[in-house]
Amino acid sequence: MSEIISKDELLRCVDEWLAAGKQVAGPKQVSWNRVLYTPVQASTELLLDAATHPVNSIKEFFFPKHQKLYRYEIQGNDVHFIESPEKLPDQVIVGARPCDAAALPILDHVFNWDYKDTQYNDLRAATTIVAVACTSHDDACFCTSVGLSPYAERGSDAVLVPFGDGTYEVRCVTDKGKALFAGKTKTSDRTATAHEGPEVKIDPAKVKEFARDRFNDPFWKEHALACMGCGMCACNCPTCHCFDIVDEGNIKGGYRARNWDSCQQQVFTLHASGHNPRGSQAERQRQRVYHKFHVYPEKFGEVLCTGCGNCTRNCPAGLGILTVTSEISHA
Amino acid sequence: MSGTNGFEPGVPNDRSSSLGWEPKIIAFVCNWCTYLGADLAGTSRLEYPSNIRILRLPCTGRIDFNLLVKAFEMKADAILVSGCHPGDCHYNAGNYHARRRWTLFRDLLDLLGFDMRRIHFSWISAAEGKKFAQIVNEITDKTRELGPYNVYQGKKVPYPTFPESMMPLGDFSTEPELRATARRLLSEGKVQVVIGWGARGPVFVTKPEDADKLVWNKDCLTNLAAYLKRKEITVLGKAAIVVKGCDERSLQVLQQESQIERENLYVIGMACEGLGVPKCAGCQVRQPRFADEVIGEAKPAEEIDHYAALDVLMAMQPEERMGFWAEQFDRCVRCYACRQVCPNCYCEQCIVDKNRPQEIPQSPTREGNFAWQIARAFHQVGRCVGCGECTRACPAGIDLWALNLVLERSAEKDFGYKAGMDGAAEPLIGSFSLKDQAEFIR
Repeated sequence: MSEIISKDELLRCVDEWLAAGKQVAGPKQVSWNRVLYTPVQASTELLLDAATHPVNSIKEFFFPKHQKLYRYEIQGNDVHFIESPEKLPDQVIVGARPCDAAALPILDHVFNWDYKDTQYNDLRAATTIVAVACTSHDDACFCTSVGLSPYAERGSDAVLVPFGDGTYEVRCVTDKGKALFAGKTKTSDRTATAHEGPEVKIDPAKVKEFARDRFNDPFWKEHALACMGCGMCACNCPTCHCFDIVDEGNIKGGYRARNWDSCQQQVFTLHASGHNPRGSQAERQRQRVYHKFHVYPEKFGEVLCTGCGNCTRNCPAGLGILTVTSEISHA
Repeated sequence: MSGTNGFEPGVPNDRSSSLGWEPKIIAFVCNWCTYLGADLAGTSRLEYPSNIRILRLPCTGRIDFNLLVKAFEMKADAILVSGCHPGDCHYNAGNYHARRRWTLFRDLLDLLGFDMRRIHFSWISAAEGKKFAQIVNEITDKTRELGPYNVYQGKKVPYPTFPESMMPLGDFSTEPELRATARRLLSEGKVQVVIGWGARGPVFVTKPEDADKLVWNKDCLTNLAAYLKRKEITVLGKAAIVVKGCDERSLQVLQQESQIERENLYVIGMACEGLGVPKCAGCQVRQPRFADEVIGEAKPAEEIDHYAALDVLMAMQPEERMGFWAEQFDRCVRCYACRQVCPNCYCEQCIVDKNRPQEIPQSPTREGNFAWQIARAFHQVGRCVGCGECTRACPAGIDLWALNLVLERSAEKDFGYKAGMDGAAEPLIGSFSLKDQAEFIR
């Protein structure tokens, strides 16, 4: 027995959520060459069955690329701080890939391990994630190598598994998911068979060992020659979470904000003295692998990667985590 | 999606007073002519409105275009740029340089949907106090008529349909010859490294036996000229670089700008009939022209209207164009992939990474993104060869090609200049001609 919903009914739900004032986001064709997770104004904009993974991830709905933290005003010698006055809109993300949704429990560690990041947690609480299980994969996909699958439920509030005939099996994972679909589904005796997903391509344990023991191996240098340091791997990564704190304002006041940052950029580690501890692109490439497969697992017990393949699929120089880690895994 | 917190930026908007809205006009003037003209207007007791804020700079040639953008960012309702008449420049030619630059810059702002009725240029000499007062009066009246300017607010438009390009695709049968050439060059010791395309992306072949790692197929998109200035690559020794006709234009630009020594570089040119992407339509440089060795022979392409896509944008109203770009730039995450993959972006430190003073806001806000995109595009004028790598790399799918293309068209239309066609030509920016025309300057 299962709960099912037709695509038409699902899209009607989306329009209802929009009408109720929720922000709905999902995969949308934004230009001739890009599908991105982005807020939509109508259900017709959603591309739920697109074969390809959107270029970005859903992290920006929890950890925006530019987030104002608080405001300040300068009056004479005094500085007044003004806390965020905001009321967050309820968000629904429809059509997330299971690998993107799975990134959130991983990110929860880092935003809560000492300081509880209110902004992040509030956005998490205000958001319901409806993932759609994958029906295909491409060369860059490797979710199965990091313990996930095309129908993984981790991080999702509900997972829709397509039957392939315009209906989905609705697998509600959390109370939020149940509330969202309450009364919208029909009971059926069909069960959707999920796509198996890519073969196992890398061995995270081996990568961890390599990153630790062969930190100064010439491999890193040879491997990174083609890297242009564009950082698109980090900004499209569902788990990369580095940020920079900036003040935007003038003599009278302004606000403090956090912006995404990327370890692939030369200025990321540049000291005021001019010294740069990670002065070459090879060191910056190594850092990204080292952080994901060694530092994070040491600290939080799991790899900082969901195998979505964004970095590999979109790298203008043909690099990315899968390329480097599969070389290590098969060495 | 930018910032979900609902704060307004902390820049107070003090345009409206108890007396109602008054236009704020910023004038960028040169120290030697227009500033003295303004001074003369004052000492002659000529009246002109106090809406104008004068910023004095040494020379119009020194007025950074980023400052103009900054003025709009800080809620100016109109701007005026004014300097010495042609022939009168205190530094001989600063105003000639400025004239050429503004001619091109206006076309970029126009494509972006700026209200061109709010951007004014004039020549006012030290003796023309009267002209200064008159122009300021005119601009103030006109701006008052136009009302307050909300610069980056546009009208939302659906994503336009650009004309479909033919996307020609050549055959790639010359791959074995490419490998043989690389093998030969490396075994003869002529070069230490061959920079070419491999199965997954760029490869740097240093041993003759690795020459088979090189490929020649429709995925050979990367403009490899971007690697020539990277220190990780230069340490590998004397290089041979594999280029298509389009990439070869980048080498010409780098040579013009004294960034590469052509005699220390071996160029392997691949005759190319297209990689099946839009930029290949109507390509005029299928056959490399300056390479040390050219592999294959390419039939010339059919001629097409290279600039047709711009007509689609220019057919929109300015506020619609602004809406189009605002939506695009709102997606910009400031990853700077566009800069990193560009062979022309070889600066040791990019202007956007400088924060003392900070001309371009670093945050991915709408203002910051406009400032960055304008700076990036305008630094490419007369230099961009249209390789399209920035557009391919941009994760946000911003139509960067259109910004590059409008400047390419202006350079060709106004100055008969095309980047990278002739390594010996004087660069477009950095040179001037007494014959340059600029009817928009009063």
